[in-house]
Amino acid sequence: MTKLEAKNIVKHFSHESHKLTALGGINLKVEAGDFVCLVGPSGCGKSTFLRIIAGLEKPDEGQIIFDGHPVTETSPERIMVFQEGALFPWLKVQDNVEFGLKMAGIPKEERAKISNRYLDMMQLTKFANSYTYQLSTGMKQRVAIARALVMDPDVLLMDEPFASLDAQTRDLLLVEMQLIWEKTKKTILFVTHNVAEATVLGTKIAVFSNRPSIIKKEFENNSPRPRITEDESLLKLQQDILAELRPEVKKSRE
Amino acid sequence: MIITGKNFTPHRIAFYAGIIVIWQIISMVGVWPDNIFPSPYEVAEDLAYSAADGSLFYGIATSMWRLSIGLAIAISGGVVLGIFMARVEVINQTVGSLVLGLQSIPSIAWVPLAILWFGLTDVGIIFVTAIGAIFAVTINTYTGVKNIDPHYIEAARNMGAKGTQLITAVLIPAAFPYMISGFKQGWAFAWRGVIGAELLFSFLGLGFLLNAGRSLNDVSQVISIMIVIMVIGLVIDTVVFKKLENKVMSRWGLQ
Repeated sequence: MTKLEAKNIVKHFSHESHKLTALGGINLKVEAGDFVCLVGPSGCGKSTFLRIIAGLEKPDEGQIIFDGHPVTETSPERIMVFQEGALFPWLKVQDNVEFGLKMAGIPKEERAKISNRYLDMMQLTKFANSYTYQLSTGMKQRVAIARALVMDPDVLLMDEPFASLDAQTRDLLLVEMQLIWEKTKKTILFVTHNVAEATVLGTKIAVFSNRPSIIKKEFENNSPRPRITEDESLLKLQQDILAELRPEVKKSRE
Repeated sequence: MIITGKNFTPHRIAFYAGIIVIWQIISMVGVWPDNIFPSPYEVAEDLAYSAADGSLFYGIATSMWRLSIGLAIAISGGVVLGIFMARVEVINQTVGSLVLGLQSIPSIAWVPLAILWFGLTDVGIIFVTAIGAIFAVTINTYTGVKNIDPHYIEAARNMGAKGTQLITAVLIPAAFPYMISGFKQGWAFAWRGVIGAELLFSFLGLGFLLNAGRSLNDVSQVISIMIVIMVIGLVIDTVVFKKLENKVMSRWGLQ
């Protein structure tokens, strides 16, 4: 079943008086339960594409079809996990996780029940009463993921969530992310510039071209799980992706 | 901030004791007559009298009551105005420019208008107090909301926050560190405003007591009331605002 479809998404930015086309007509079909990783040169508009799917930005042309309807505004059905987490520093971890439930008017006991489940899942129970500044970057990303999962979204949109993590923490979260995906059966779109990360996570990897971006190539990835970055079975795929990506990265630097 | 948790350091105690001693010496030397330059003892005596007959506490209560209402109006109005200015560009360009202009008017300059509009009433004094403080609150709230990490707002909207929910659950708490500075400034302006207005309205309150002291040529009373005004200012600054600020700063991990 097609969960999400991007139809010819075009997005311009005005940059010091000249117009810059970031997205030059993105077409992408995402089936329910897909784990799609989007890779591409930096500045190619991957994040913008994700924001358009989230409904946080409007495309200049084209539309996103979600469950058969065009996306017109942002909604908890498509929850975004931001690169830096965007956790609220004025709330404790538990209140951060419960934020969306509170907005939806769910009573306190119910909220606690749901949030406790996800705090437990993300190994955050001990930190429920901490403020976010007391957490490490990896912990913050866990909170951000818990905050997203609590909303029980149809689609999870993750914008380079592991970019600022150290290698060990990232490896740990790569394992956890696969478990979460298997457990929750969520449809996930995951932006990353790290090809190894994409091959570990994705069932499908879409390579963005340089600006104005289109999706240059899509790769299927059916290697057995759980995967780790060093898996030899992923090596060939990683090389194929890099072969597509390299010329685009080069162009983006010219 | 000069006042810290250690309010009673030896240096500080010695400093104030020194001032009182020098003051006493000058008054004893007799450079100026008593009724122009009273001794600390006379000022203390005057304070004790006005405390004993209740006029001091009545004056404090009156001023504080006016201050509270004026500041409450300034804070609620300033927060609302500041948020609208930050979020609606048309309001910023129109009302915002006016706010900047009005902010430069000292609150005391509103007194003639207040007297003409409201007469010599509490309402007039509260008006001066509120209008002296509101723009500081407005501008700080505006700055605070403008400086919110846009990801906070996007994340909140994405999780379903809308309209007033967005304001109460995100905009206000996210801008709060700035808003506290606004409240602090607002309170300082309000305190100056209420005393100044009472002085000119000459209608109860600490400002009135100051003016009464002046008209009776009672320098001791004038000085004693000035000390009271200073002490109340210091206490509110440290007890209310410093505490609030510390709480928010530590919660955000900014300390």
